[in-house]
Amino acid sequence: MKQRNQTMFILSFLGPPFLIYALFVLVPTVNAFRYSLTKWDGLSAPAFVGLHNFATFVSSRSDFIPAIKHNLFLTFVPGVFILTLALTFANLIHHKVKGARLFRVAFFFPNIISAVAVALLWLLIYSPTKVGMLNHFRSAFLHQNQPVAFTQSSTLLWALVPMIVWTATGFYMVLFLAAMENIPESYYEAARLDGASPWNLFWSVTIPLMWEVLTTGVVFLVIGGLKFFDAIWIMENGRPKTPTHTLSTLMYQKVFEQYEIGQGTSIAVLLFILVLIATLISQRLMRREALEY
Amino acid sequence: MQNLTTRTFASIKYLLLSAYLVAVIFPMVWVLYTSAKSTQEIYKNPLGLPAFITSPGSKSFGTLIQNYRAAWYGSHFSSYFFNSVKVVSISLALILLLGSMAAYVLARFEFKGKGLIYVLFMSGLLIPMQLILIPLFFQFSAIGESLTALLAPSARALGLGELTISLHDTHFGLILIYVAASLPFTVFVLTSFFKSLPGELREAAMLDGAGEYRTFFSVMMPIGKPGLVTVAIFNFLGLWNEYLFGLVFLNSDRLKTLPLGLASISMQAQYKSDFGLLFAGLVISMAPSLIVYLFLQEKLTKGITVGALKG
Repeated sequence: MKQRNQTMFILSFLGPPFLIYALFVLVPTVNAFRYSLTKWDGLSAPAFVGLHNFATFVSSRSDFIPAIKHNLFLTFVPGVFILTLALTFANLIHHKVKGARLFRVAFFFPNIISAVAVALLWLLIYSPTKVGMLNHFRSAFLHQNQPVAFTQSSTLLWALVPMIVWTATGFYMVLFLAAMENIPESYYEAARLDGASPWNLFWSVTIPLMWEVLTTGVVFLVIGGLKFFDAIWIMENGRPKTPTHTLSTLMYQKVFEQYEIGQGTSIAVLLFILVLIATLISQRLMRREALEY
Repeated sequence: MQNLTTRTFASIKYLLLSAYLVAVIFPMVWVLYTSAKSTQEIYKNPLGLPAFITSPGSKSFGTLIQNYRAAWYGSHFSSYFFNSVKVVSISLALILLLGSMAAYVLARFEFKGKGLIYVLFMSGLLIPMQLILIPLFFQFSAIGESLTALLAPSARALGLGELTISLHDTHFGLILIYVAASLPFTVFVLTSFFKSLPGELREAAMLDGAGEYRTFFSVMMPIGKPGLVTVAIFNFLGLWNEYLFGLVFLNSDRLKTLPLGLASISMQAQYKSDFGLLFAGLVISMAPSLIVYLFLQEKLTKGITVGALKG
């Protein structure tokens, strides 16, 4: 009797959440793989085409290849700045500064605003109209009176770099700082007795001992860069073109504007595979390093 | 000499940190005070302080009121705001309830298939939202059609007229997706949280004659509050700022959430004649997350580190 009651309890507690999750996450995941193997306009019956959609990626120089290049650009160019700044600031704050709390709280701020609001804010900063803060600076200090449209398609990706750095640096700083604070102070003391400089301390104590979190951070950066959508969509008014497409915007356009559901979904499947690879590589790296100490 | 380099180093340190502090804070302060300026004032000098501050008076105060009134009523920010409040709060309540139910069972009971279910939940942590977006779109149409086919005859028989059920362009549909997509992270955090609670608690409650359900709702849930709060903040920020699902699943202007409303206003050319309104709208969208963050930032940053260090 008691046994049966417990089975009932488990079923009633696990059933509803698992059903919702299975129906709206697991089922669509399986369907995504099925769709990606078809040519389908969403209305007539889908035609099975095998891996054809994936094969076309290699030759699609007008959309897919530029799009994935843009994702890589948006991962690594801001990524270098983000990692450098976040590690620098975390290290400075770790070695006791006055106002550490203020810096920590403030730097994290931009990370909690919606990507849409951030995109709009930077659209206003970059604006070629009289509202644009940056063009105002250029005319006031550099006497360059011809406004520049920073966010036009040809320069948009570069214009996104400061925006991404501004948004993300605080998050990574908080992440790295927490890892640094986990390092026992005695390690630093021992190294100092051996005559290590602050520079040495950073490279031979701090970095090796926070390696795991550093790899996690890189994975977050890669995943974020691969999924990039909102800001491009807003800044291109919902109509990105070849010079500004990312995988996600291309997927959206293929499916909801050109009705190429199979082709669009295969981009999503590829995105998933890339995210998976990035995560697995980092797990490998972490395990190898973790064995060393 | 040693002293001099230390001091130089210290000043460089503060210079760097302060410079970045200004770079982070200034754009947000700029948005805040510009929302009190009229479009003419903004055109004259985009960086200048509003008359509201330089020469306080009823006229300059009126500009501020006018901007927010135009955004709140004229551009439907009130509707966007309350839609966001509705969608996010219902989603959060369901996520916390369903997530803690699943997590509690996974953390505290032994049964067949437990490992598989846990792995299935955790695999969701790796699934990008883009992957399920398109299949969900067609699945929603299919669910709507079969429910309509199932229920329309009885509705007709009952004299309720033609019944069509659709999950597209409804808050209900969006909430279902938000709940399902938030469960993996929620279950992940709460399972480890419930595991960390002493097992005697449940046994003591059961000995006192409370059934499994009472034990969960009146003993485990209250004790689980710290874990629930962390999960709630994370999900709040994620859902309050969510754009892509909303873009695909909500079309009617009256149903749009804040990110969608803000995006559609920024994409319409008409705002270019009223920048004051746009800045006010931006403040309205940013304020709730900033307030939540200021009050709960300690919990949030702690949560991030727990998630990242364990995950």
